[in-house]
Parts: sequence; C-alpha cells; structure tokens
Amino acid sequence: MSPVFSHGRLRLYLLRLLDESPRHGYEVIRLLEDRFMGLYAPSPGTIYPRLQRLEAEGLVTQTQEGGRKVYQITDAGREELAARRDELDELEAEIAGSVHDLAREIRDEVRGNVRDLKQELKQAAREMRRQQRHENRARRDDQPRWDWYDDGNVDVRLAEFLDRTSRTLRRVRLTEAQVRECAAILDEAFDRIRQVLRDTGERPPTDKEHP
Amino acid sequence: MATWTLDEPDKLAFDGVDRVLVEIVEGAVDVVGTDDQPSLEVSELLGQPLRVRHEGGALSVDYERPWRIGPLAWFGRGRRTAVLSLAVPHDCRVELHTVSAGVMVGGLRAPVLVKSVSGEITLAGLGGRADAETTSGAVQASGVTGDLWARTVSGDLTVAEGGGGSVRARTVSGAVAVDLLASGERDIQLESASGDLTVRLPGTSDLQVKLQSTSGQVASAFDELELDRTPGRHAARGRLGTGSGRLRATSTSGHVALLRRAPEPETG
Repeated sequence: MSPVFSHGRLRLYLLRLLDESPRHGYEVIRLLEDRFMGLYAPSPGTIYPRLQRLEAEGLVTQTQEGGRKVYQITDAGREELAARRDELDELEAEIAGSVHDLAREIRDEVRGNVRDLKQELKQAAREMRRQQRHENRARRDDQPRWDWYDDGNVDVRLAEFLDRTSRTLRRVRLTEAQVRECAAILDEAFDRIRQVLRDTGERPPTDKEHP
Repeated sequence: MATWTLDEPDKLAFDGVDRVLVEIVEGAVDVVGTDDQPSLEVSELLGQPLRVRHEGGALSVDYERPWRIGPLAWFGRGRRTAVLSLAVPHDCRVELHTVSAGVMVGGLRAPVLVKSVSGEITLAGLGGRADAETTSGAVQASGVTGDLWARTVSGDLTVAEGGGGSVRARTVSGAVAVDLLASGERDIQLESASGDLTVRLPGTSDLQVKLQSTSGQVASAFDELELDRTPGRHAARGRLGTGSGRLRATSTSGHVALLRRAPEPETG
C-alpha cells in the first residue's frame, strides 16, 4: 500500500488546510496530527520546508503576526487545488476510511520516514568519523620527528657528534678494518640508545626514522 | 466470557476493552488508539482458526493450540498466517507476541509490550512506557514520548523524533540510531557488542555524556566533550549545558558517534 502522502499529496493537503483559513506552521502540524488521530505528527523539519517551497512557487504567501509566520493561500494556490480536486477527494476518502486502513497507511508512512532518518544519520556519522581520522593524521604529521630527544637536548648533542665525527673522518683515510670497527661502535651506540628508551618505556623509533 | 473462533476474515466490535493480548505467528498486527468503539478486523487468515476472547475488559487474540517452537513445530498443522488490526481506547494496555509477524502500535498512552522473533516492530505516537524485544527484526519508533526500552540481537533500532522519555537500547550486532528533539532530564543508555551507536542531539542539550568503545571509533560533534584516544579505550566524556540528563553509549567493537542537529528552519 502506498504511503498517505506519496507523490506530492502532503503538499496538496497543506494547500487544503490553508484554503480553510490562514494558519501558522505549528497549527498546521497540530491539524495534521488530529487528522491522523495522534498516530502521526509530522515534524517541523518536514512541514516548514514544504511551506517554504509552496511560497516560492507562489501558491501561498506569508505574513508576520506576533512573531510568527502566518501562511495564506493565493489565487494560484486555489487554482491548483481546483485542478487537483479529484486527487484531493480520493485522499480525503482514504483518511476518513476505517481506522484499520489508516493504521496501515500510518505504518508505511512511519517506516518510510524512519528509513530516511536512519540513512541520514548513518551518513552523517560516517562523514564525521572520516573527518576525525583525517584530522588525527594531520596532527601526527605536524609533530617534529625529534620530539623524542627534546629533553636534555640529545638532538643537539647528536648534531654536534655528527659534525665533529665527519670533520675528523674527512681528514684521514681509513683502512677497511678501521671502517668496520667504527661502524660497530655506531651500531653499538644505537643499540644502547634504543635500550635506554626501552627501559624507560618509550617506544623506540625504527631505523627508517633516522636520517 | 465471550469467545469467537474465526476461520475466515471477519470484523468484530467490543463493548469495553482496557487491555489487549495478541499471540500470533506469521502475518501482521496493527494496534491503534481510537475514540470510537473498540474493534478487530481480520483481513487475512491462513491455516488454523484464530481464537478471540473478551472478558471483563481483557481482549485476547491467539490460537487454541500454543505455538510450537523447535522440532515440535513439525507436528503443527502447517502455516499460521493472520493479518489483523485492532482499534482500542487510547489508555488500553497492549501486549503483543509474534514469531515473524510485523507489528505496528500507535496512538496510545498506556504501557505497550511487544516481543517478536523476526518481525519488524513499529511504534508511533506512544505516551506510555514501551518495551520492544526482537531477535532479528528491526525496531523503529517515531514520536514516542514515554520511556522506551528496546532489546534486539541483530535487529536495528531507530528512534525518530524522540520525545521526553528515557531511552534504553541493548543489541548485539544491530545498529542503533537515535534522533532526539529535546534532551531535558532524561536518561539515555545504549549498549552494543558490534553494532554502531549513533545519537543526534539538539545544539542546546543538558546532558552528562559518556561515549565509549573498545575497538570502534568514537566521534563527537560537540567540542565540550573530551576525547580519549588510548588504544583499547576510545572514549568521549563531558557535560553539555547544565548536565541534568544522562547519555551513555557503550560498544565493544562498534563505532559510537554523537551528532548535532541543525536548528529547525523556524520554530513558529
């Protein structure tokens, strides 16, 4: 069974309510709720955008009255209503039908609305998670690599060490055995530094992170 | 006691009904509140005859033989399908049990209890306490202003236009999505093992919030909350507004998300 307000029927029904008398949005919602015996009350988020669309199409106008917007049908709105008289009669008959018919209609209407909402929330949540992951990544990338050595200026010492060692080494010509011995000292130094970090519970960086 | 045995579609009207109990297997049940005379409409009936009993305000609709679940079901007489609709007073208590039949309950102020194995449960415009329990069926509530307690194993739970009552939901793998119109002094507790939990609140809410997931991601659109990203303990907690209500969403591996509702176009 098709939902009550499929294919622009809510729009038609809104026009019909405004044809009876000018009303403000809240009143329209209450009337719809009454019409559906309290089973179905469309939210302001459903009704106001539709009223605004009707206004944009020139079928209704709105005036401010005591801080509230009052909607009023226009001649164009009345013409539209007259042109769709048959459709409206059919809708009225369905709404006035047995409470059991109405129950089925309401069920389909609620299901449809809930399905839309579920999709909307799912998408919004997914988008927020994606953005958050993106921000986290950006924050990590911003952090300087040498964070680890900030305390006690180890990075400064290391830079000095590199500078002094390379200057010393440039002046001499090393034998193969000397190169091997120096490399072993560096490896050992690195291993010991790593050990210190491990002992104090810091995550040791991998080789790749070293210049 | 008045008893009817229906073996074909029929309509019945009753004099006074203040509580309803329905136990059916397949098909559909709608129960709606009305100001008119209470009535039952059976529009489809296959298999065994349906038994309707009415005594001192209590109306029950079921089968003479209890349903058989498990291997004994083979000894039953085939399918039992019933599509029925009940119109009852707004303050009538309602209890519904189904196997696969879908259920809709709407327009009532009294407590409602619905249990189904695989049927989909739809609750619309309820002012009293509502209890919904399914194994695999989805539960959806729209305009429920009373307290809502929903439990599912794999069924999704969706709350649209949540009113002023408390919401409690527990699921294993179902996804829970709750959209609240106002926060107020309410208690919202959502729990899942692997299902995602999503809550949308109005921009101005007064809630003490705690969101937590062991391995899922926790995300919040409210900057007031403090995020904890320790592996194995993703959480967000803090106070929104005056913190008069409470929101707890806890999952083991599901994602937890707190969204902010855009202001209504107009309140007028």
